[in-house]
Amino acid sequence: MSSPTQALFANRWLPVLLVTPLALLIVIFFYVPIFQAFYWSFFLERPFGGGSIFVGWANFARVLSDPQFWEAGKRTVIFMVIGSSLAVLVPLILAVAADRQLRLSQPARNVLVWPKGVAGASIGVIFAFIFNPFVGILSPLNQWFPGIWAPGIDGTDAFIMLIAAHVWSGIPFNFVILLAGLQSLPRTMHQAAAMDGAGAWRRIFDVQLPLIMPQVFLTLVLEFTESVTSAFALVDTMTKGGPGGSTNLLVYKIYVDGFNGYDLSGAATQTAILMVFVVLLTGAQFAFLGRRINYER
Amino acid sequence: MKMFTLAATTAALMAGAGAAQATDFEFWYGNTGSVETAILAQCDAFNASQSQDKVTCVGQGSYEVSMQKAIAAYRSGNAPVLIQFFDAGTLDLMLSDAVVPVQEILPDVDWANYIDGARAYYETSDGRLFSQPYNASTLLFYTNKTQLAEAGITETPKTWEEIKAAAEKLKAAGHACPFVTDGDTWRVLEQFSARHGLPIASNHNGYDGLDAEYVLNTTFVVQHLTNLVEWRKEGLVRLGVDTKAGKYADAFNAGECAMMEGSSGSYAASAKAFEGKYEVSVDMAPMYEGYERHNTLVGGASIYVMKGHEDAEVAAAKGFLDFLRRPEQQMAFTAATGYVPVTKDVLGAIEASGEADAAKYATAAIGIESMNQPRTEDSRGVRLGFYVQFREVFMEETQKAWNGEPTMQAALDNAKKRGDELLRRFEQTYQGVKLP
Repeated sequence: MSSPTQALFANRWLPVLLVTPLALLIVIFFYVPIFQAFYWSFFLERPFGGGSIFVGWANFARVLSDPQFWEAGKRTVIFMVIGSSLAVLVPLILAVAADRQLRLSQPARNVLVWPKGVAGASIGVIFAFIFNPFVGILSPLNQWFPGIWAPGIDGTDAFIMLIAAHVWSGIPFNFVILLAGLQSLPRTMHQAAAMDGAGAWRRIFDVQLPLIMPQVFLTLVLEFTESVTSAFALVDTMTKGGPGGSTNLLVYKIYVDGFNGYDLSGAATQTAILMVFVVLLTGAQFAFLGRRINYER
Repeated sequence: MKMFTLAATTAALMAGAGAAQATDFEFWYGNTGSVETAILAQCDAFNASQSQDKVTCVGQGSYEVSMQKAIAAYRSGNAPVLIQFFDAGTLDLMLSDAVVPVQEILPDVDWANYIDGARAYYETSDGRLFSQPYNASTLLFYTNKTQLAEAGITETPKTWEEIKAAAEKLKAAGHACPFVTDGDTWRVLEQFSARHGLPIASNHNGYDGLDAEYVLNTTFVVQHLTNLVEWRKEGLVRLGVDTKAGKYADAFNAGECAMMEGSSGSYAASAKAFEGKYEVSVDMAPMYEGYERHNTLVGGASIYVMKGHEDAEVAAAKGFLDFLRRPEQQMAFTAATGYVPVTKDVLGAIEASGEADAAKYATAAIGIESMNQPRTEDSRGVRLGFYVQFREVFMEETQKAWNGEPTMQAALDNAKKRGDELLRRFEQTYQGVKLP
């Protein structure tokens, strides 16, 4: 396995040199801040510096006994499970359809990739407009049943809006990966299954889906870990964590606590906990899900 | 040839600048829109008024972002000399050890010239101003006179009881949004408590020590907020999010809603939006019957001098602060924004200008009058730690009550509980530090 990669580079230092710039960026903008966060989580840190007090595990004890933290954590998990599942399921349906040579599947393949170019914050602004209770697509609903759609005051509505925007923004990448997976399947398998009398639905569930499990797994892993942090831009532009904290996901709570509230220690502690959670989550996915998937064909 | 001329001119200009030994310094502010325009006009005016120093005014988009960047900049030694920050962060900055009290570096200024309402909010326990009040505002009551008259209301309501009656009339006349609010902490809690003489927290809102506790869940504020929620159900009050405009002030300015409590700083926008369509009235914020009127608090923001700068920079910054205090500068700023002048000589200057009744000074007299009402120990200001964060907590908890679950009392009990935790942590973070 390793020999072809080695053969690509004549000089053994060249790959190191090529990787260095990126590695440096990751160290400066990821590892250093993360280290700083872990360090601060053991201190009571004043915003402008000076007089930080070592408090041991006291910050963790406080955060872990704070119902607000657990509620934000619960919302994060709900968002992660529902948002990520839909963000894989919807593209999966679209990819299967696009793969089936349906009419318009060719243009759809292109169009569906476009949202990838839209930044999360822009998506938030657009969706806030689309779901506006007075001018958005659901506004007729409000004319028939006044007050039924009110994401500005009703927490559940706001959460639904957030998930819709998240799923939409997840379509392009997952669609590309899943469609590529579907297209790499040999046509002979379809033909063989068809010869044996399997209908279209049967072939999807018994042939295509099992064979693209590696791709589904990849998208799920990426979605689950990404949904924890990438929701920030959406929350910030659409709901600011409201109403009544109903969309205050952990990643946004950390931002508000640390940057608006100057609680650097609390924010650092929550960052550390979130970090450990994401690492454990990914580990668990590989341990339990990954093992069941057959990568060989 | 052209290139050469350009280069020569540039060199000459730079030599000239060098000869004058210009001191450049930065001033960070957070406002946007018409206020930002007015701030930049003052910066240009300062640079044009003399050739020695040059201020670079940097807009950061919001008070919060400005402070985030200032914290990071201060930690790495790059903070600006002057920074504008808003009322709620007063205690955080007082204890930060990152700013020099303005009265300390400018001892010769007649600080007593500032009206008491502005001083009380920003001064230390021994009466020294910590920061120079800049864009000062206070809470006022706005009505759309035209729409009120159409509903048969000729007298502007002065009490909440009258507002309710007026709202009922408006509703009966088919008005969909008689009164609009956003339930903002500053409007419905701080300003309401101050003018009704109610404390928000013990220790006179924290002025007497860091061991204060919130008491907002035990005062008349609970009843007031419960009323607002009730009136919303009756169709008399709307929240900003209930309106087509989406924001309460926009909804008022667009004529969608007929009455609002708003900052004096938003007057310019309302007057401009109403031009040729409606007539606007501004009065002191409403009281409940049976309560004696006290002062409203100074809101908006003030300017702090940050530590860690060379003497030349600080001297230049002092010049800029002196410039901003000049009556004609304050008057121009008031006229352009609706913010309230806060020095006594400016009020005199407005009187003397013969334009005291002009629309551009509409908020000045009424705003000052409101801030000059009889003071109590609890209406000096808010001096509570992590208060910016508490504002978020208050909004989060009360929004739940606005949506019907739980009751306002329960929501405020929760806010108190979470607020006290913030205060205790603040106390612990600043162990051994005394309130200045």
